[in-house]
Amino acid sequence: MSKRPPPDPVAVLRGHRHSVMDVSFHPSKSLLFTGSADGELRVWDTLQHRAVSSACAHSRAHGVLAVAASPWLGENKIISQGRDGTVKCWDIEDGGLSRDPLLILNTSAYHFCNFSLVKKPTTSLIKDAGVQSEDSNEPDAGDTRDVQSTDESERSVDDSGLLQGRDHAEGTTYVAVAGQQPSEVEIWDLNTGDKIIQLPQASPDNSPNDSTKARGMCMAVQLFCPPESQGFLHVLAGYEDGSTLLWDIRNAMIPLTSVKFHSEPVLSLSVASSCDGGISAGADDKIVMYNLNHSTGSCTMRKEITLERPGVSGTSIRPDGKIAATAGWDHRVRVYNYRKGNALAILKYHRATCNAVSYSPDCELMASASDDATVALWKLYPPQKSL
Amino acid sequence: MAEATKQERNLQKILLEKVAEAIYAIADAKHVDQVIPSIHSVAVLLFPVDPSLFSGTFELTFCIWSATQVCSSVASSVDDRNDWLETFYRGVAFPTFARVLLLDVASDWLSCFPISVKKHLYDVFFLDGPVIEVVQVLVPFLHRVENGGFDTNSVQTNVERLLILCLLENAGLIKITKEIGDSYQGDISRNGSLKSLLSRLSQILTSIPDKARLKSPPLLSSHLYFKHITDQLLQILDDRASCTEANSTVIVLSFVGEIFSRICRRGLSDLLLSRVTPHVLAHVRRLLNSKMGSIEMETFQLDPTPQIWSKTMKAVTDPYAVEKMAEQVLHQLYAEHASDVEAFWTIWTLFHRNVIHQASVRSIFVDKFLLWKVFPIRCLRWILQFSVLECPPLTNTLAKGDVVQGLLETTQRLASVWSKGEFLQSVPFEQQAYITAALGLCLENMSREELDRTKDVMHSILQGVSCRLENPGDLVRKMASSIAFMFSKVIDPKNPLYLDDSFTGNAIDWEFGLQTAVGGVPSVTNTMESEDGETKTSASLTEVNGSSRRDKEKKNRKSKNISDFVLADPDEIVDLATLNCETESDKDDDNASVSSDNSSVTSLEPYDLLDDDKDLGKQFTHLVDVVGALRKTDDVDGVEKAIFVAEKLVRASPDELTHIAGDLARTLIQVRCSDITIEGEEDSAEEKRQRALIALLVTRPFESLETLNSSLYSPNVDVSQRIMILDVMAEAARELANSKTLKPKDDSRGPLISSISDPQPWYLPSNASTPWKKVSETGSFHLNWANRFERELQSKPGQTKKGKSRRWSLKPADRDQNSTDWSQNRFPLYAAAFMLPAMKEFDKKRHGVDLLGRDFIVLGKLVHMLGVCMQCASMHPEASVLAISLLDMLQRREVCNHPEAYVRRAVLFAASSVLVALNPSYIVSTLVEGNLDLSRALEWIRTWALQIADSDIDRDCYTMALSCLQLHAEMALQTSRALESTGGSSGSSTGSVNISLPSVISKLTSINIKLPSSNVHL
Repeated sequence: MSKRPPPDPVAVLRGHRHSVMDVSFHPSKSLLFTGSADGELRVWDTLQHRAVSSACAHSRAHGVLAVAASPWLGENKIISQGRDGTVKCWDIEDGGLSRDPLLILNTSAYHFCNFSLVKKPTTSLIKDAGVQSEDSNEPDAGDTRDVQSTDESERSVDDSGLLQGRDHAEGTTYVAVAGQQPSEVEIWDLNTGDKIIQLPQASPDNSPNDSTKARGMCMAVQLFCPPESQGFLHVLAGYEDGSTLLWDIRNAMIPLTSVKFHSEPVLSLSVASSCDGGISAGADDKIVMYNLNHSTGSCTMRKEITLERPGVSGTSIRPDGKIAATAGWDHRVRVYNYRKGNALAILKYHRATCNAVSYSPDCELMASASDDATVALWKLYPPQKSL
Repeated sequence: MAEATKQERNLQKILLEKVAEAIYAIADAKHVDQVIPSIHSVAVLLFPVDPSLFSGTFELTFCIWSATQVCSSVASSVDDRNDWLETFYRGVAFPTFARVLLLDVASDWLSCFPISVKKHLYDVFFLDGPVIEVVQVLVPFLHRVENGGFDTNSVQTNVERLLILCLLENAGLIKITKEIGDSYQGDISRNGSLKSLLSRLSQILTSIPDKARLKSPPLLSSHLYFKHITDQLLQILDDRASCTEANSTVIVLSFVGEIFSRICRRGLSDLLLSRVTPHVLAHVRRLLNSKMGSIEMETFQLDPTPQIWSKTMKAVTDPYAVEKMAEQVLHQLYAEHASDVEAFWTIWTLFHRNVIHQASVRSIFVDKFLLWKVFPIRCLRWILQFSVLECPPLTNTLAKGDVVQGLLETTQRLASVWSKGEFLQSVPFEQQAYITAALGLCLENMSREELDRTKDVMHSILQGVSCRLENPGDLVRKMASSIAFMFSKVIDPKNPLYLDDSFTGNAIDWEFGLQTAVGGVPSVTNTMESEDGETKTSASLTEVNGSSRRDKEKKNRKSKNISDFVLADPDEIVDLATLNCETESDKDDDNASVSSDNSSVTSLEPYDLLDDDKDLGKQFTHLVDVVGALRKTDDVDGVEKAIFVAEKLVRASPDELTHIAGDLARTLIQVRCSDITIEGEEDSAEEKRQRALIALLVTRPFESLETLNSSLYSPNVDVSQRIMILDVMAEAARELANSKTLKPKDDSRGPLISSISDPQPWYLPSNASTPWKKVSETGSFHLNWANRFERELQSKPGQTKKGKSRRWSLKPADRDQNSTDWSQNRFPLYAAAFMLPAMKEFDKKRHGVDLLGRDFIVLGKLVHMLGVCMQCASMHPEASVLAISLLDMLQRREVCNHPEAYVRRAVLFAASSVLVALNPSYIVSTLVEGNLDLSRALEWIRTWALQIADSDIDRDCYTMALSCLQLHAEMALQTSRALESTGGSSGSSTGSVNISLPSVISKLTSINIKLPSSNVHL
């Protein structure tokens, strides 16, 4: 067993004046987005380790809850969720945020559930990113294509109104959030700014709703698009009572499956890039790695890790699916071998609760955000360059 | 027979004639040469006087020669001379002639006698005669003062000289015993009169030092005299032991015993036993050595010396003398470092017969020496071994004989005395320790069955232990735990009970460390200091007091905790290794997939997974969170963290503190530190809690005091919490008084209200444009009680001063002395809030609150806290106001005469603090106003302190009372000085004061007030 001491962060980004709530890498550029509890959204350069720009994305009183960038969203867009009941989409111009958001979704949701963008098993894209991370032109091209396709999908959504039937979901940008009713999950279209569906779908007799209401608030949600589903979106939602539901939005009334891995609220759900499994954690002292079987629509526990100090507020799986990280209330970032589930490192740097971890698309960097108003950048187990 | 008496009478007649002749001759003598022959004429009848010894003048020799010629016809043979001698001394001839010799001859002629004549002609009458008769004649002249024209001085000097010669230098006592033996053999019928004669004789012998004059030679001083006498007596006893045949032994021994008892009666038992004890001890050692350790009772019973001794001691019938002797034997043996065995046999030799035959002597050992006297612990062991266990000891431990009745009775008696609460309160500390040791040693030698046979020992012991465990005194509790330990060992030897963590072995120090403490009287400052030191620990102590069961549980829990901890070690690396091994099976396909991903397993080698939680813990940043966490008593970690962080947050004094101070104070009081911490770390949490409360009191006194005072008497807190509250208040008062804050000096004086915490003291003139400074003078306060102040005057306009100093650089502006000032003692502002609510309700008995009765520790702490407050408010006007109410409280009989010394100590401390705190000028002003409340109260302090110093059993009380009196005297001095100065200055200005002053002054001198020195640190 190695006796190497755990590494220190390669860089620490300071500048936030309040707890950093979420962190997200730019899909292609060396940029990092962070949002803090006082509503500030910062953009950092991950090579120079400096702040590029700062903007007040949400009101000071409410703060930023989550921030995300995605290849499907677009090269120059990011979205942020505030606790003021809005999700805002921003344009990035020269590293700075646009003065006004491109789009505001008034979700009227005032809860603690981070939104989720769609995750897709686009192995080709990851490979591109892995191989050509330094080359910015190629992703640019891909991005334009994305944008175009987004436009298409937007139109189709508008036209059809029947999103279940969409088979070219590749270009669509949806975002899932816990809704105005905290026990419900809502999916919004980011292009139009409309709410598309809510899960469980309101039915006349209201009977399924009762069962979900008993689970309490939705605390974590993950939107993904498994390859087997012909582009139909699936949603994993974690609830206050520790249960996790898997929905296929084609059947919005009843979840595909319901499992209960946790005894406390589920706070974070991650799905691996391959969409065949993921990792979930919550307020209890367990981290669960699970498998998703889309053919049977089931979710099974693959590995359970017990922590000695409970409470994990964020999880992340590296895009190459080799390692995963958790952000703990105990100020630690823990790194696990995602395949085997054994602990690899306990990273001690933060002096307050960690709120989020995130891996860069090129798998090189990991960023952790904490209540101590710092963001730490780590470089662990860098992927070996392919021969 | 008739012929014999006739001859005797005849002899006597002749003798008397001779003596009469000589007396007349002496009376008519004009010259010393006429005196000597007449004495010689008598002497030659009785003693073999050798004329050649007189190397004097021719005439003298001639005279004597002629006299010899005359007398030689009368007394020629030795037999005749013995008859003469006997007749002379037994009849009236000797007393008559001795009187002439001792008075007339001694005063008029003796100084003219040649030395040889004096020795061989004069002294022989006293030295060669039977000592019994001689002594009876001589001693009365020791102090006979007659104005018969005699030179008293020379007469007495002569008698003293003769006594020394007769008794001390010529071993008179040995002669006496021989004479007794002779006369005893002579006629048995006179035994009765012989006894009374011996009794008289012993009385005369022992009274000699008392009758001797002050100027008498040192050999007659009681010390040396009795030393010689004792030595002779010891020799007599030795002689008697070696020759057993003499049947006069009994009467001789009773004579010796009588002298012993009379010596003891005269208070010289120590001297007597300092000779006797080594003597006996040496014999015992000799005997023990000869037997090489295997000692049987018979060895001693058959040995003549012990028999002689026990017979002698049996003659000492006076119980007082026996008691004194026994006491001294114990002390002497202790000083001689006798071993247990030696000591036992020594005591046995001397006293065993007395103990058997005299009930009073037995009670001396069993009662008096155990319950009323205090001996060193080793002596106590001997006493118990001898009188209670009644069998010879083994080498180093007490041994138990077959007869246990005495042991049971003694144990019962000791236990019943020991268990009483009054005993605890009314008996000096040394004695308590002694009786505790006695009880413990008794218990040590008992078995379970024997304990069951006693009636109520068990009950008494439990009662005594429980009432001691509540005591604030550390040693008292230690006594309780020692007894409890011994007791539990009797009940179940395999499972002894440890009430105290500090002792773990089987050996108990029964001396309780007192030996060293007894050595010197601790100085006053030390005593009071220790009183202060106590405050810190006492809160936790009361918890330590808790039941023994809990203690044991704790122990178990602790060990369990440790094992749990080991099992659940978060840092256990081995765990992960084994985990890896377990997952070995799926390693293969892992490897396969990994290799397909073009990366090797080695890249995912784990780092060191060591993790500790030192940095962890929610860092509270808001006091609201702290209060919330403290309320959640089920979240142990949260409470602990909140306690640890509370002080810092309070010290930061955020705005919210004002609103939350009360809540915070309440929750801090309610928190139970012992519940939230693991064993052994209670103290740190307890200390943090107290520090936090102190900080709270210092930063927001009014808000938090309200809560503290209300909870002080609330039924919801227990004694330890009450004590903690009081400790915290005292500490906070100290801190407020000593606070030194550097704050900017405001040049403009406060517009309306000048508080006492103003940078400038209240008694300085306030209209000064430049600040006044106190002139620092050496010497204590009372030497220069009129403090002087000075200030620098501003220069007049137009006047310029040239610079005189040179500096290397500019002075930094922020260090400018004028812009800042030290502000001290913020306490007086809050003094009333500290003291008055606490004093208000102390005497009310409510549910769970009974300060005057059961909770006396709280009362003591309360009084102590009030005393500290007074000290902190020293010399401020508030002190004077509060002093009156404090003294009112102290004067309550339940308080100042509390049965517990702990409370009395606290009251003495508080009274002393008042004396220190009062400003003399204030006392003067009350006197001048005619308000006598204060002076009456101060007078009460004096009388009460005097009373304590006189009669208190507690040594600390005594020393504190003395220092209190000293402070009182000092205060009175200062007050009278202040009064004089007031009288001088104000007398001319106001007539009314002038009139009332004389009466006040006269009263003042009678009540004798005293005044404080600020240098006295209590």
